[in-house]
Amino acid sequence: MNEKLSLTELQLIIKDSLYIALPDMYWVIAEISEIKENYNGHCYLELVEKHQDEINIRSRVKAVIWSSRFRFLKSFFENATGESLREGLKILVRVKIEYHEIYGLSLVIHDIDPSFTLGEMALKRQQILKKLEAEGVLTMNKDLDFPMVPQRIAVISSRNAAGYTDFMKHLTGNNYGYVFYIALIETPMQGNETEAGVIKALEKIAGHLEKFDVAVIIRGGGSQTDLSWFDNYKIAYYITQFPLPVITGIGHEKDLSVTDIVAYQSLKTPTAVADYLIECMIIAENHLIGMSKEIIDRSLLILEEIKIRTDSARLKLIPVARTMISGFKEELSGIIIDMINTGKEYIMRAGLFPANHKSRLISGTRSHLSVNSSSLTGRKQSLASHSRSFLNNTNNKVAVLENSLKILDPENVLKRGYTITSLDGKIIKKRVQLKKDDMINTRFSDGSVSSKVV
Amino acid sequence: MVKKEFSFNQAVSEIEKILQEIESGEMDVDRLSVEVKRASELIRQCQKKLKSTEEEINAIFKDLA
Repeated sequence: MNEKLSLTELQLIIKDSLYIALPDMYWVIAEISEIKENYNGHCYLELVEKHQDEINIRSRVKAVIWSSRFRFLKSFFENATGESLREGLKILVRVKIEYHEIYGLSLVIHDIDPSFTLGEMALKRQQILKKLEAEGVLTMNKDLDFPMVPQRIAVISSRNAAGYTDFMKHLTGNNYGYVFYIALIETPMQGNETEAGVIKALEKIAGHLEKFDVAVIIRGGGSQTDLSWFDNYKIAYYITQFPLPVITGIGHEKDLSVTDIVAYQSLKTPTAVADYLIECMIIAENHLIGMSKEIIDRSLLILEEIKIRTDSARLKLIPVARTMISGFKEELSGIIIDMINTGKEYIMRAGLFPANHKSRLISGTRSHLSVNSSSLTGRKQSLASHSRSFLNNTNNKVAVLENSLKILDPENVLKRGYTITSLDGKIIKKRVQLKKDDMINTRFSDGSVSSKVV
Repeated sequence: MVKKEFSFNQAVSEIEKILQEIESGEMDVDRLSVEVKRASELIRQCQKKLKSTEEEINAIFKDLA
């Protein structure tokens, strides 16, 4: 070993040896521990393999994806997985081993297999879900009662996220005039701070539970839609234990994160979350309108029934009224008999009055005549005749009246076959005036009989 | 002063109860008119809750955010 090599010569020997020894491309499984895209579009990574404890590193190597390849691989990977290439992600890549005299060993990535990453993510998700299930908490948030009116909303998001703006616009501009109250609790929605941030936000809401109806986790739109930040055991566990229903709109088309799975309701976009909340309000209002209509209909029905009942009562009343009327008739005939008696008395008095009046008139006239002697003889004659005709007239009227009253006289009424019933001298006009064992007197035209009520 | 908070859920269950009673047909006209009046008042309050802003809540929410 006398030959001395320059460093470059050595590096070139290594380079050539590696090239000869490892001429092919290899599929390699690794985890990204660092990744950055530089100004000219090349992507530099550090790949690692960890021990089973997931902390200590077993091996490490630099890697690069040249810009021409990176442009394609980046979108290919993102489209397939919904994830961007980022640290912490496990990938399967096809690499060529290169050695550079200045930069040393690195793996040049030519291809990537997104299905491996998808499988890895699904596996991780499954592990978290299994753990939550084993703990018996998996569906706890889903089991909560959802408020009829989800009006007071705690939003976990970042203010500048397009998703939050969409959500607010959609919710506050709803076509129905529903009022929503929104408190935004800001937190990073991706990156390493996601876990701690979301949990802190949930804790803050938990401190004011009575002020909220529902909690919403949204982020939005954009190309950066790394779902796996929400495939997080701690966030998921906290949600299962959260006393308010949680709705997610994390904005992922393809898959559900663990956070989505444990939430009360998961929707694809923040706009869909807003729609969901508005829909709840519509259902509540429709329920009100339905009940209101039902109450009106039922009440009208009851009123209609009452009207029908009143009408039928009226119809039933007619025979009752008839009976009453015949009762009244009897009563009336009694009253008429009374009236006749009274009338007779008046007539008798009336008969006396003209006689009395006549004698007074005559004597009065006489004394008048004796004072005014002959000049008044003519007048006396005419006065006398007038007086006489007046008296005759009166007498005639009285006779007519007497005659007509005779027909109505109870005696005559009795003669026509009617009887008068009395109890203790009082005329009985109604059945109710009598009770059992009363001794009643029945007057016929030719006399009376007594009888006992049985 | 603590204003007693109007509960939509409670109001709705009260309206439901009134409706049930009306449906049972065991209600005379006087009660019916009282209950219908009560129900319409509750419905009015519920509608108001859905559609008019309570400044009190707005203020609380401003402090929270």
